[in-house]
Amino acid sequence: MGWRRWARTKSPWVFHFSTGSCNNCDIEILDCLTPRFDVERFGIQLVGSIRHADILLVTGSVNRRVAPTIRELYAKAPAPCLVVACGTCACGQHMFKESYHTMDPLDAYVPVSVYIPGCPPKPEAFISGIVKAVHTL
Amino acid sequence: MSTVLDTLRNAFPGRLLNCEERRGARIYCDAAPEVIVDAARELMDGHRARFITATGTDTRNAVEILYHFSIDGEGAVVSLRVTLPKDRLEVDSLAPLIKAAEWVEREIHEMLGVRFRGHPDPRRLLLADDWPEGSYPLRRDGEGGQS
Repeated sequence: MGWRRWARTKSPWVFHFSTGSCNNCDIEILDCLTPRFDVERFGIQLVGSIRHADILLVTGSVNRRVAPTIRELYAKAPAPCLVVACGTCACGQHMFKESYHTMDPLDAYVPVSVYIPGCPPKPEAFISGIVKAVHTL
Repeated sequence: MSTVLDTLRNAFPGRLLNCEERRGARIYCDAAPEVIVDAARELMDGHRARFITATGTDTRNAVEILYHFSIDGEGAVVSLRVTLPKDRLEVDSLAPLIKAAEWVEREIHEMLGVRFRGHPDPRRLLLADDWPEGSYPLRRDGEGGQS
C-alpha cells in the first residue's frame, strides 16, 4: 500500500449534503456518529466544508433548486471525491419521481460511487456503504 | 368550549356559516373571504388563540384555504375555511396581523396562485428562480408545470 492510498483510506472525511430531504436519512447519519455505532473509530467524521471532504454524502432527490449546487459542490471538492447516494430518494428519486420540482436523478449530475438504498437506510447499511466507498479508493 | 362556538356564530352574522363542533374541541367554520382578518383577530384577542398554520387545496372549481387556530387553554382547534372561486383567487393577508402567516401565505401563493392582499413581502419562497411566473404546480386544472 502506497502512502497516498494509506492517507486516503485512513480517515475519510464526509461532507453531508441534504437536497431538501425529509430528514430521516439525515437523522440516521447522525445516529452513526453516536457512541452506539461510532463511525469515528474508522476515522470518519462529518466536516463543515466540501473543501475538507473526501466523500460527498447526498440525501434526498435532486430538485430544481439544488441541481446547480450539487454540480458546484462536486467541482469544489478536492479530488478524489467519492459521492455516496444515501437513501432511496438520492439513489432513484423514490416517490418524488416525475414530481413538479424534481429533476434528473443524482447520478445524472455527478458520478456516484456507492448507492445506499433504504427509507431511511439503517446505520449498519450506511457504515457498510462508506466502507465499500473507501475500498474503491 | 361553547363560548368560542358562540362567538363564531354570533360575531359575524351571515359571514361565518356552518359553525360546528366535531369530535370534541374540533371546530370548523365556513368564512367569507372578507371576514377572515377580523375573525382571526377576534379569536386571538378574545380567546387567546394561536395561529397554527394555513393549508390550501385545489378543489377543481375553487381553491380552499383552511386557517387553523389553536386555543391552547381549552385544548380546542378552530379551522376557518375560506373558499375562493377560480376566477377571483384573492383574499386579505393575515401576515400584517400574524407574523407566522407570512411564509405559509407565500407558499400558498406560489403553489396555488392565490393573491394575498396586503402581504408585506410577497416574494418567491420555495420554487426555483427559473420556475415560470404564473405556473402553479399544485393546481389541478393543468396550469402546473409538469403533468
